[in-house]
Amino acid sequence: MAAEAGDGKPQPGRRPRSRLIVRLGALLVAHSVLVSVVCCIAGSIAFLLLPVLAKNTYVSENALMPGSANPMFSSHDVVEANRFLKEILDRGSAKVTGTEIAKLIGQHVVDVGAELYYHKFHPHGNQFHPLHFFSSITNTMEMQYNSSCTLFGLNSVGIIRAPRGDGKEAIVLVTPYNSQNIGQSEALSLGLAFSIFSLLSRVTWLAKDIVWLAADSRYGEYTAVDSWLKDYHNPLFLSNSGKIGTGVCFEENILHLLDQLKVKGPGYNIFKRAGTMAAALVFKVIEKKEKEERDSLTIYAEASNGQMPNLDLINIVHYLAVHRQGLRVKIGSMHSLLKAAWLKFVGEMLQLFGKLTKHLNPKWKFDITSAEYVEGTATLASSIYYQALGVPTGSHGAFRDYQVDAITLELSPRFSLNNENNRSAFLLRGGRLIEGVIRSVNNLLEKFHQSFFLYFLTAPHKFVSVGVYMIPFALLLAPLPIVSAALFSGNDNLGVSTEKVNQEPGCIGSSDTELRSGSWKWLQAAKVVFMIHLWAIIVSLLPYVLSQFPLTTPITLLLVWAALSICILLIFYLIFGACSTHCGWELLKSVMIAAASTGLSLMSVINFSTAQIGAMLIVPMCLLVQPLRKQMQAGVCRKAVLVICNLTIAVVGFPPVALLIAKGVCEDFGKAGVGAFWELAQLLWSWNSATYLYLLWIHLPCWVLCLHILLYPCIGRSSKA
Amino acid sequence: MAGIRGYWTLAAAAIAFRLLLLLCFPKDLHLGSRPEVATPLTSLRRLAEGYWLKQASMSPYSGSMYHGSPLLLSFLGQLTIRRVEGRPPHFYCSLMFVVVDFITAILIRATGQKLLLSRHKSFQVLNLSKLVEASGTVNPGDFASLVYLWNPLTIVTCMGSSTSPVDNLMVVMAIYGACSRIAPLAAFGWVFATHLSLYPIILIVPVILLLGYGLDAPPSKLFLHKTSDASSSGALNQSPDKSGASKLTDNTIHTFSWVQVLHFVLWVFIWLCYVLLLSSISLEDVGGLSEMFRKTYGFILTVEDLSPNIGVLWYFFAEVFDFFRNFFLIVFHVNILFMILPLAIRLKHRSCFLAFVYIAISSMLKSYPSVGDSALYLGLLALFCNELADMHFSFFLFCGYIGVSLLSPVMHNLWIWRGTGNANFYFATGLAYACLQTVLVVESVSSMLKHDRMLRKLVKA
Repeated sequence: MAAEAGDGKPQPGRRPRSRLIVRLGALLVAHSVLVSVVCCIAGSIAFLLLPVLAKNTYVSENALMPGSANPMFSSHDVVEANRFLKEILDRGSAKVTGTEIAKLIGQHVVDVGAELYYHKFHPHGNQFHPLHFFSSITNTMEMQYNSSCTLFGLNSVGIIRAPRGDGKEAIVLVTPYNSQNIGQSEALSLGLAFSIFSLLSRVTWLAKDIVWLAADSRYGEYTAVDSWLKDYHNPLFLSNSGKIGTGVCFEENILHLLDQLKVKGPGYNIFKRAGTMAAALVFKVIEKKEKEERDSLTIYAEASNGQMPNLDLINIVHYLAVHRQGLRVKIGSMHSLLKAAWLKFVGEMLQLFGKLTKHLNPKWKFDITSAEYVEGTATLASSIYYQALGVPTGSHGAFRDYQVDAITLELSPRFSLNNENNRSAFLLRGGRLIEGVIRSVNNLLEKFHQSFFLYFLTAPHKFVSVGVYMIPFALLLAPLPIVSAALFSGNDNLGVSTEKVNQEPGCIGSSDTELRSGSWKWLQAAKVVFMIHLWAIIVSLLPYVLSQFPLTTPITLLLVWAALSICILLIFYLIFGACSTHCGWELLKSVMIAAASTGLSLMSVINFSTAQIGAMLIVPMCLLVQPLRKQMQAGVCRKAVLVICNLTIAVVGFPPVALLIAKGVCEDFGKAGVGAFWELAQLLWSWNSATYLYLLWIHLPCWVLCLHILLYPCIGRSSKA
Repeated sequence: MAGIRGYWTLAAAAIAFRLLLLLCFPKDLHLGSRPEVATPLTSLRRLAEGYWLKQASMSPYSGSMYHGSPLLLSFLGQLTIRRVEGRPPHFYCSLMFVVVDFITAILIRATGQKLLLSRHKSFQVLNLSKLVEASGTVNPGDFASLVYLWNPLTIVTCMGSSTSPVDNLMVVMAIYGACSRIAPLAAFGWVFATHLSLYPIILIVPVILLLGYGLDAPPSKLFLHKTSDASSSGALNQSPDKSGASKLTDNTIHTFSWVQVLHFVLWVFIWLCYVLLLSSISLEDVGGLSEMFRKTYGFILTVEDLSPNIGVLWYFFAEVFDFFRNFFLIVFHVNILFMILPLAIRLKHRSCFLAFVYIAISSMLKSYPSVGDSALYLGLLALFCNELADMHFSFFLFCGYIGVSLLSPVMHNLWIWRGTGNANFYFATGLAYACLQTVLVVESVSSMLKHDRMLRKLVKA
């Protein structure tokens, strides 16, 4: 809107009274510097205030009714879990083959009276393919099965058909375990899962089928769960697969396997399904080094591209864990921020401010203690970081791609698991928690829709919803169209003034050309911006070409990538360099800002956290950038400040540097090497993270254009006027 | 008349780019399933279904799958069933659409050259030859045809297995026929365009105006003014060319050539009979013409399919109460008809521009819009690049079109695939798109009127 108003800036003299909205827009545009400074500062402050503005979570869907029924998970089930655990550990120590545990799980599942089948999958390599970013999930079905048949994993799946259900819906339990080398904690999580499973096979209240997936995490948890989900949602007909050549390999292996497993009965290799998934719980037991007062539960929720499960799922888990089972619930937080002095200072200031406002009006609930603030900020930062990375934090991420809400629950006991009593108490708590969650989800009439999908967590029981966290972003983004319009209309006014000079009857022709170039001159600038974006797209596709060549070390790959990109950029400059100097830098900057704001708002819809972090880097860069030669004309003090600001921002704005800083803040500066960038890029594209596209399609061209403007040869037209 | 340098190279590059897309991405571009590209009326998948039904000697309209013309079935149906290994499913159809796009571009180019000639002629008559020199830098025909060929929306439509390129060709053919005063061609284009997508029926006004009055020219008042001027001064210097010019203006302005229009009406009648005959032969055993009208025009007018598209009607009619439905159907369709008369009166001296405005308005308010419609009117808009040189908001519109066309698939993904958004997200982009089109139409019309005003000022000066 602002851009529109800016373009329609009333031309003095011709139309003295224009519409109100146009005049308002013109006012904004006329004070663009003030507006942008105010907006940027307000945006940053609002961003820092997010932990203060967080609200307490509440269970929004009434049908869930968490904790309304007494748990049925009893000490009898604990005994069963312990027995199962011992059997696994006995088998595991024997270490015959990888299929021993699958066989054990299978026997027990059949004994309980549930359906069983084995799902065999091939791990697929992380290949870069540019179109994987866009194609929907159903199209990626034809994976590269041509990796050798010998590499495979084996998931065991048990299904309980609900006595009260119609088989249209299901709840999924996932327990990942390493079939090659099983530890005590993994065995314990299998035992816990089995005891819950056997309990659920006896209860009468089930309305949704229960699917228990014991995922073979030999090639990574995510791979196992993901390939199972892929097969679950894309039925593979053997007549079709025959021509791929995997059918034979598949058949042979599974028969061989079933011989090995020695399970008799029909259809253990037939893939069975149980309706759409209402929710999925991935749970595992982790034994931690540091001992705490209570058993603790860590929740991981971030899926690919910053998607989160419905908040209600986290709510019920948190409610049951804290208020029923007395567990300590944690979510990931950034530890380096916990000790940061500046944050503590901000927290204390806020605390003081809160006291002050309370003094003024006791109804204002603005009180937050310094410690709470610091903790909230650290949690929020990690929430933003993992969402921005776009890489799922666990195997629950695979479910989100199929619109299934899923979280990972990591249970860790207070004492060592070797103690029988402690273990039993721990198992009882964990089992009751998971049973309660399943019972709540079982009550659902529709899929989760009541609560939020777009939120950040600042504590396990506190969240910032989309309506709140959009405010700082919108404030940060607002100056961009205004400044763009101001630059544009400033250029337009120049055209108008020259037109007025030429308005004398003698030079009609020149007036027309002037008019024409004045109105459509931005096309030249748009051409430059388009070329740079085209270059960025080519650069983003280069790794696909590079990965075809047998280069191994990340450092060489990175260097080749960089060298090629610079070469292509130089070629572009040689071919199209002539046109870039025709238009003034103001127009170029205006078009660049328009492109950046379009890109940022687009990214905020795809992955908000990336857009937020990106905006904090790009927006100051875009607003401040000016040709260095023009800055030289200003006063000494102003010159120094401008130049230093511009140079700092230009350095920080470079994507690899920005990544390095982000990594350094979050983890450790020491580990970052040159090859790390390639590995990071590889990580991003192998997870189809939109962050990769953002970095290379929006951030990088914007940075290059900023450099272009900084080094702009001629002095802009405004200085002439 | 300086053409754009390397026009043919650029046009060939556009065609080559389409072929490259067609050959390089055999399966990965699922453009045909995008709601922005293929509507229930233009989807080629539906056409293939209709063809299959017809081959099974059932009515192609049974099952509410196909809603297009029966002629397209016999025309494209054969091509839809041929498959090539390793190529997109509708490879031959896409190849044909590339050809169709090229023909459309050539026709636009010819129209633009005619417009440029008439503009030069009228400027000479008005003694504004300086303006001619100044504005002769861009040849609107070349420019518009390149805009049409390189417009990403056109490319997407061409690749996206939808039949809109054929619709666009017919519309452009009608305009070209009217511009070059070939009544049979104009009648053919108009009848077929109306037959294929109904909305071009309103183009009869500009086509008749074009045939009657001739091509776009400054308002006739200016010529009258000039004539009186010339006659008063002609007594003084007796210059022969001026009197000749005044004769010319007399010829160009005052006559509305009824002969051409009657000729056109006759040909319309002939083509109409021809189309109806062909359709009835095609649907002889299955349904017949009444079913065809019910399932094509009826489907367009009653907005039966409420699946999301980039228009605004689907959302509205999904929400509206059933007993108001008929009322609002009338309101929405009369909306287009209301604009015909005022615009025709105001822009009757610029009939070709009038045709552009009609197309833009109907593609904004039609029941199943797609980006193919915008591709057409954006291409036609470029025909008037000299007149609209000082158009406001050009940059805003440019950014807006890019933003909306990027945001729309993302919002659709958020709603349908991720499930974190809802219908309002997608509808918001549709609303923004409608606003953009409104701004485009309003601004282009007002800057055209401003251009006329400027001409008047110059003539009177």
